[in-house]
Amino acid sequence: MSPLLTRRSALAGLAASASVLAAPSVLAQAKPRVVIVGGGFAGATCARSLAAMGVAVTLIEADQRYVACPFSNLVIHGTRDIAQQTFGYDALRAAGVDVVFARAERIEPEARRVLLPGAVAITYDRLVLAPGIDMRFDALPGYDSATAERMPHAWKAGAQTLLLRKQLEAMDDGGVVVMSVPANPFRCPPGPYERASLIAHYLKNHKPKSKLIVLDSKDTFSKQKLFMAAWQELYPNHLEWVSLASGGKTVEIDVRDMSVVTEFARHKAAVANVIPPQRAGSIAQASGVADRSGWCPIDPVSFESRLAPNIHVIGDAAIAGAMPKSAFAANAQAKHCAIAVAAMLRGEPAPSPKLINTCYSLVAPDYGISVAGVYQPAKGLLADVEGAGGASPGGASREFRAREAIYADAWFKVVTEGVYG
Amino acid sequence: MPSLQGKSASDIEAAMTAFRTGGREATVMDRIAKGFTKRETNAIADWLAQAGAAK
Repeated sequence: MSPLLTRRSALAGLAASASVLAAPSVLAQAKPRVVIVGGGFAGATCARSLAAMGVAVTLIEADQRYVACPFSNLVIHGTRDIAQQTFGYDALRAAGVDVVFARAERIEPEARRVLLPGAVAITYDRLVLAPGIDMRFDALPGYDSATAERMPHAWKAGAQTLLLRKQLEAMDDGGVVVMSVPANPFRCPPGPYERASLIAHYLKNHKPKSKLIVLDSKDTFSKQKLFMAAWQELYPNHLEWVSLASGGKTVEIDVRDMSVVTEFARHKAAVANVIPPQRAGSIAQASGVADRSGWCPIDPVSFESRLAPNIHVIGDAAIAGAMPKSAFAANAQAKHCAIAVAAMLRGEPAPSPKLINTCYSLVAPDYGISVAGVYQPAKGLLADVEGAGGASPGGASREFRAREAIYADAWFKVVTEGVYG
Repeated sequence: MPSLQGKSASDIEAAMTAFRTGGREATVMDRIAKGFTKRETNAIADWLAQAGAAK
């Protein structure tokens, strides 16, 4: 047993009956504490919302700086500074959140505690896991974390984003860029296609003899009609999309040859952006809240894990039915999860949510498109509210597309200000 | 982008209803407003008006 056992976890460990375990706040006779693991859009939003409701909340996050993914494709495009993507946690502290910079190593659901390095344990009444994603470096033969330093995924914003940008900038005019896109589910469903658009835009303007080949493991994707119409209009010579049916599925990465290999061809790249399959962040795997798919099944009303009691999972790591893995969705889920957690701490049931998502994509810096949805629990999952949502209209004016690009920017400013500002 | 700051509940409710029924042109609010009933729309309007006034 750890020498650092707290009174509460010691009592919980000794208690034999589940009913006693279900009421640790009574045992501890202290103000209930919520612990959140992960300070991205989901975790930081949830922490801030709980603090605003007067709930004692500790946020555990490994990095002192958060680099946001939305809009990071413009960093790759060369027209946005990574500093505009980077946020700290001072505002959360000022709002009353206890922020702990450490990598959560493991959860002990029975003892209700999170283990940090150095045998430090933080106990909780309810835990919210918001670990985001991990790349599955075991899924694509030839692609591991070392390979990612040569052929970046850039699917977590930060050093990887800057690496891909640097490689594109250094590439000779005439070089071929190859992008590998995974099958569903993965973070940010329209993200690869926004990135493809902005890379093509960069090539068209700066490396006109170059070309981007997108090798896809799917035949259909988010906002497909809008993207493909825009590609035909804007980038007919700079972007080639290869669907699954046309042999687009990546089966192997050959880093020595800088090639992306499909069942039918080897695509030699000057720059390769390999977006591998993903799963919920490692703490979810280590804590038994992820199922065999690698993602975390949840109750759609409370966001409580279906595999472990008193643990909620929000954001990209969760299996949220029709809701995509997006920052907007994570933000919405987190606000609701805070309400659910606060209710459950009072011994009340979580209220049923109605959640919104909007995903903006830039097809060019001044050309935005969106897909929106409204969701509610149905048959154990979050389902689309019929008649609502959908993509931007086809055939809209460039003025309409320009307005959506402005609204995309406004969304980012409002959300990051609300969470980190 | 029009701000919600300082708008009354009835203004917000009227705008949401216009978005829902197609009476007001929009990029995305038409698609979102259709997901909410009249009662939910009223609740949203009340909440936003309060939050806007509190700032």
